[in-house]
Amino acid sequence: MRVSLLKEVLKGIFSKPVTIEYPKVRTQVEVDARGRHYADLNKCIGCSLCAIECPANAIVMEKIPEGYEVPKTNARRIYPVVDYFKCVYCYRCVTVCPTKAYITTSEYRLATSAKAESRVLSLNTIAKAEVKPVG
Amino acid sequence: MFNMVEATQVIKIPLTLEIPVGPQHPALHEPLLLKLYADGEEIVKVDVITGYNHRGIEKLAEKNSFFRDIFIVGRVCGICNTVHANCYVRAVEQILDVTPPQRAKYLRVLAMELERIHSHLLILAVTAEIVGYDTLFMYMMKDREYVMKAKEILTGARVMADYMMVGGVRRDLDSVKVERILEILNKVEERVKHYLKVFQEDVTLNKRLVGVGVIKPSDVVSHSLVGPVARASGIKTDMRAQDRYDAYDEIPFNVVTDKGMDNYARAMVRFGELFESINMCRYILTHLPQGEAVPDERRLPRRFPAGESYATVEAPRGELTYYVSSSGADKPYRVKIRTPSLNNIVNSSFAYLNHYIADVPIIFASFDPCISCMERATVIDLKSRSVREVTLKDLSRWGLK
Repeated sequence: MRVSLLKEVLKGIFSKPVTIEYPKVRTQVEVDARGRHYADLNKCIGCSLCAIECPANAIVMEKIPEGYEVPKTNARRIYPVVDYFKCVYCYRCVTVCPTKAYITTSEYRLATSAKAESRVLSLNTIAKAEVKPVG
Repeated sequence: MFNMVEATQVIKIPLTLEIPVGPQHPALHEPLLLKLYADGEEIVKVDVITGYNHRGIEKLAEKNSFFRDIFIVGRVCGICNTVHANCYVRAVEQILDVTPPQRAKYLRVLAMELERIHSHLLILAVTAEIVGYDTLFMYMMKDREYVMKAKEILTGARVMADYMMVGGVRRDLDSVKVERILEILNKVEERVKHYLKVFQEDVTLNKRLVGVGVIKPSDVVSHSLVGPVARASGIKTDMRAQDRYDAYDEIPFNVVTDKGMDNYARAMVRFGELFESINMCRYILTHLPQGEAVPDERRLPRRFPAGESYATVEAPRGELTYYVSSSGADKPYRVKIRTPSLNNIVNSSFAYLNHYIADVPIIFASFDPCISCMERATVIDLKSRSVREVTLKDLSRWGLK
């Protein structure tokens, strides 16, 4: 009987499965794999180049809400919001940014039932302005 | 008295059964309709009907800028995304008159050869799955994952590399990554040798592959089939050797051909190319030229002169060509894509004839079909088709007249 895979199959029965039990065990990705990225608003100058160059139209420029300390270089007070469901993770925005404002991570676990956007992550990079006492 | 009447018409009533395979079918992994006409178990005619997966990428490329298109054309096909991007980027480089540095050329070839390895491993695994050898499929897919890891180390993502850029590549390699990829290649080569042995020795695989789906070299030429399908019939066509684009003029490799002409020969050609690709990757990693490879994407030219260019590349499935026309605006005037699957699938309906119904999926898989690749240039005009089919009902009505 010429069953060429038999030896390997028998070995496989008594060894651990090679598949990763994903939610319990994290898949090991490279440190520099292209994962979730967001703009550092200390560096962002609001030039909108990332939104223009994005091949998936995943980036929308939004006004920075009141109550944040915005650097003077960002005169228009706008910042990019990445829609992670539209994003194709090509990192064109990262490489085209004139001030290298994007913070890149290898985070790949982005499945969610809510909206996945970079709004909160980006706004957390700048300090909130002190609330002036009224009167 | 016997009266002889001269016959004026021959009416053939075909005793065939029409079997639709697809658009959704367990044997096909992508939507495509193979309309089989069977006489008993024997195939007498096959209609290949496409158009279930049309996405309008050529039009989308006209609506987006040259640089955005690099990422859009990569999405034509998931398996061969770097070859698509490479072909488009080289066409754009011709318009811009930009030459990438030597190190970038080597890295481009490395990415494309890694892609060829995982693409060939995939289709060989699918071949095993379709003949019913699921165990082999599982093992091959497990080992394909090592190659995906190598691609992740090189480009930053398992599948969608987004590695090509006008004037170079988008990531460089350091010595640690070189070592890791070499290690993976050694591991994969050992496994591929084992699978080659399985394909050569296994009774099931031999019975299903040998002598099935024979394509004569004259048919390959007359139907303009490309890639491993042509090479398995002894036609030595390989754009890497014919065009010598990127760094293929410096990297040694052989064009693998086989004279078997059947499914088995096509599998053997893919195995031969796997070993060639692994050796090429090894050569690149040990002979990587020094220098810059990554262009500053912020300083790339923004103005595109008017002109047109034509680039060709050897995808894992055969010759892939891009025609890019620029009118001097920031968007291409026209992007025409001709993929290898289009030639191989639409033109190959003759290969199924006189085989059994059960052999259809395996012949189809031996062409390495990529449906999403080919869903764009085919228009089947049913109205102007010259063959007219007459039903039995019509025929009986004629008789009444």
